[in-house]
Amino acid sequence: MILHTLNASPSSIAFMDCVNIIAKDDALVLMGDGVYAALADTDASKALQDTDARLYVMAADALAAGVTNLAVAVSRIDMDGLVALTETFPRQQAWY
Amino acid sequence: MTAAPKKTVLIVLRHSPYGSGLAKAALDAALASAAFDQAVDLLFIGDGVLQLQPDQDSTSLGMKNMGRQLASLPLYDIDHVYVDAQAAARYNMDLSKAPLHTRQLDDHEIRQLMVGYDHLLGF
Amino acid sequence: MIYSLLVLSSPFSGHCSRSAAEFAHCVIARGHTIHRIFFLDAGTLASAASSVSAQDEDTSLKGWSELADQHGVDLAICITSALKHGMLDQVEADRHERRCATINPLFTVSGLGQLVDACASSDRLITFGG
Repeated sequence: MILHTLNASPSSIAFMDCVNIIAKDDALVLMGDGVYAALADTDASKALQDTDARLYVMAADALAAGVTNLAVAVSRIDMDGLVALTETFPRQQAWY
Repeated sequence: MTAAPKKTVLIVLRHSPYGSGLAKAALDAALASAAFDQAVDLLFIGDGVLQLQPDQDSTSLGMKNMGRQLASLPLYDIDHVYVDAQAAARYNMDLSKAPLHTRQLDDHEIRQLMVGYDHLLGF
Repeated sequence: MIYSLLVLSSPFSGHCSRSAAEFAHCVIARGHTIHRIFFLDAGTLASAASSVSAQDEDTSLKGWSELADQHGVDLAICITSALKHGMLDQVEADRHERRCATINPLFTVSGLGQLVDACASSDRLITFGG
C-alpha cells in the first residue's frame, strides 16, 4: 500500500510516471497543480479512474484553482484528512 | 544517532542530473546514509534515468560530473540500484555503458519494489 | 506515531511549503509527535529571515515559526543547501566572512545525518516537493 501525492499538472512527466506505477491498493492525493487531474471528463481523470486507486483532491487547492467539477471517483479532503491517510498508508511517494 | 531499529529506505530519483538541484540532493542523502551505516537503495525512474547517461562531461558548466559521482557509490556499499527499463528505452539508453550497474524493472516490478520499504524519499 | 518531514519545496514557488507547515500542525493536532522537519535544496529558503511578502499574502514562515515556538519542533536546514541558497546562521556567516546571519533563529543549520536519523527514528517520513 502506497500513498501517492501528486503536485504537478496532468501534462507533466510526474503525472505520467505516477499513473504508470499506481495500483488499486494505493491512494492518490492531488495537490497544487495536481488538482487539474481531477477535472471531470478529461483524459487525465479517466486515466486516474482506470487505476482503481482511491482518489482524493486537497479541497483548498481545488477551490483556489477553480476546480469545482470533479470526476465522480475523486473525493475532497482537507489537511486533517491527508494526515489520516498517512496514518493508514505506511509509506508515501511524492510525485512533483 | 539514536539506536532505533533500522528502517529501510528507497531513494527515488526522478529528475535529470543538471536541470535542478534534486539529483545532487538525492546523491548527498544516499552518501550520508552510507556514512551513518544506514542501508539505502536507489531507484531511477522517468527522467531520473538520465543521470545514468554515459559520457557525461559537465566541466564547461562548472558543475560536478553526476555520472562520475554515481560511479563511486559501490565504494560506499550502495549497490542495490534499480532502473525504470521503459524510461531507459524511451531515451534509447545503453545501460551496459551506464556509470552504475543497475537492475532493470518494468512498471509492475517498480511498484513491487517500492512496497518493500519503510520509507520512500522522492527526489 | 512519530513523524518526520522532508521539505524540498521553495516557499517562494507555489504553496507546497506552506501546506507542509499546515500538515505538520495537523499531525500534532491528531496526537502524533514530530521528530524533525528537515529542509533540503530550495526547501532551506523557508528559513529566510528577511523575506518581505505583500501585505495581503501569507507566508509559510508563520506556520514554521509556530511549530518551533509552540511545539518545540526541530526545524533543521541542510548546511550544504543552506549555504548555496545564502541561508547562514551567525557561525557560518563568520566562517565564510559574510556580513550577517540570514536565517530565522528558530531554524538550525544541520548535516544530512539529521535526515538519516529522522528516517531511522520515524514511523512516517513525508516528503513535500515541487
